[in-house]
Amino acid sequence: MKKELIHTPEGVRDIYGLECAKKLTVQNQIHKTIRSFGYQDIQTPAFEFLDVFGEEIGTTPTKDLFRFFDNDGNTLCLRSDFTPSMARCTAKYFMDEKLPIRYTYMGSAFSNTNMLQGKWKEATQMGAELMGDGSVEADGEVLSMCIEALVNTGLTEFQVSVGQVDFFRGLCEEFAFEEAQSEAIRQYIKNRNFLALEEYMSGEGISRSVIDTFLKIEDLFGTKDILEQAKALVNNTVSLKAIDRLESLYSVLEAYDVEDYISFDFSMLSSYHYYTGIIFKVFTHGIGDVIVKGGRYDNLLGKFGKDRAAIGFVIVIDDLMQALSRQKIEIKTPKNNFMVIYDKTRYKEALRETKKLRSKGFYVQMIPYNNQFSLVDYEAYATRTMHSKLIFLTQ
Amino acid sequence: MSEERYLTFALGKGRLAEKTLKKKKKIGITCEEIHDKSSRKLIFVNEELKMKFFLAKGPDVPTYVEYGAADIGVVGKDTLLEESRRVYEVLDLGFGKCRMCVCGPESAKELLQHHELIRVSSKYPNIAKDYFYNKKHQTVDIIKLNGSVELGPIVELSDVIVDIVETGSTLRENGLEVLEEICPLSARMIVNQVSMQMQSERIKKLISALKAELEKAN
Repeated sequence: MKKELIHTPEGVRDIYGLECAKKLTVQNQIHKTIRSFGYQDIQTPAFEFLDVFGEEIGTTPTKDLFRFFDNDGNTLCLRSDFTPSMARCTAKYFMDEKLPIRYTYMGSAFSNTNMLQGKWKEATQMGAELMGDGSVEADGEVLSMCIEALVNTGLTEFQVSVGQVDFFRGLCEEFAFEEAQSEAIRQYIKNRNFLALEEYMSGEGISRSVIDTFLKIEDLFGTKDILEQAKALVNNTVSLKAIDRLESLYSVLEAYDVEDYISFDFSMLSSYHYYTGIIFKVFTHGIGDVIVKGGRYDNLLGKFGKDRAAIGFVIVIDDLMQALSRQKIEIKTPKNNFMVIYDKTRYKEALRETKKLRSKGFYVQMIPYNNQFSLVDYEAYATRTMHSKLIFLTQ
Repeated sequence: MSEERYLTFALGKGRLAEKTLKKKKKIGITCEEIHDKSSRKLIFVNEELKMKFFLAKGPDVPTYVEYGAADIGVVGKDTLLEESRRVYEVLDLGFGKCRMCVCGPESAKELLQHHELIRVSSKYPNIAKDYFYNKKHQTVDIIKLNGSVELGPIVELSDVIVDIVETGSTLRENGLEVLEEICPLSARMIVNQVSMQMQSERIKKLISALKAELEKAN
């Protein structure tokens, strides 16, 4: 065996055995939940034209995309996330559909980052998109579906932080900041660096009272009460409307009975300009990164031809698996597997037995008996290969 | 639910750690074990407060915090700038004050006035790159060194260096001086983005206690 051939390149890996079974189980659970909300499956290509994932649309910097050329000289790239593909599909096939469209997808997403050791270059993402419904009920449905999907995997301790990008936009308009100023302030708030924010704003000659208003955003984090505090802080219709929307969202979430998972967080902002309403992230123990990202992006579809309301989220399955495993949450993999060990002379009998079991829905494997191995060996082998029951048809 | 979990601190080895522990002591957070120089333990626990502490090499602190191996870290601003990790920088602890500077012999001053290509040696290639490319728009050739960076101009490996300057005595003894200041530095407290959400109450309490202590000290 050539040694160099058995390695995978840096950033990708094999998933096999019990780990693979667990991952598939979790994927199926989430898929089942999303399907129960009436979302339809969709598959899009693993690579597309670079422009679909370009600077304005994609969430990954172009330098971190896996890029290559086709024979005609077009630049292609492996998808770094699914949302641009979903938006493109909707624009292409459902241009004239006046009623909402619901999609769910699953597959690998790729990013060519070498900086982050411990982050995979290929990760399984599963998500859902609801297009053509801009109502608060749509916001509530997507959030609740996400929460329900996570709960069904066995995850109990997690927190969904919800922000509203219009709140910040309204504030910037209220104080008539220049584009560059808003952008700098957005970055500081997003990174929760209120230290540097204060320094920057005083440096820009912004008045003390305005600076204090922005510094208070840091504390706008918590349960429903925060919304009242946020209201007291602003004096413009855009921000007030954003808060109103969160209030109505909360009552939808109460109706779904998932409000306990929710925290409002007004520091949560995104660098992506296509987010237009709520944005949310899911945090849990055992992993230093968010496991779910989502939000409303009513402007994205316009980039493919036609404006349309849209909201969605993505669960990074590999990160969720890490969180489940670190939190020692048991994942029940299907284990009704049989192993039929037969002597050559009894092959036909063994096959009959196997077929009968298979027709009853059991998973059955057949292996010829070899007297070099003892019962203990076979039992160990059954455990290794996740078979719960041995059937011996030997002499 | 969050109260039962340990809050883990990663502290940059050396003076920063000592000063951090001193400040923490003032707000009632102690960890006696860590002061025991003979101990070979890597991680220290305060059971009462449900806190764990460990010492790590400075540049590794943001890495521990980014991946959530530590909830909170204390590290120099220089390391944060150089490593640019995804962590929240929440507090300027005020100690460990110094400056990031471009230094060299007086004769090198002239080289910084034009856009000509110069050689820069530094322990901080990213900071150097950002400063020359994005702020000064000067093309430079950066050489990464791991220590005694002052040697660079002396043995003519490079024209200037980018390094931390505290008092400037090492520079003067070697015939170098500060040519340009890039930015002021000090110790910062950083927090993992998930911890900030999941343990927000405990962490916020800690931050405001430290803030109050810092204001008193000033």
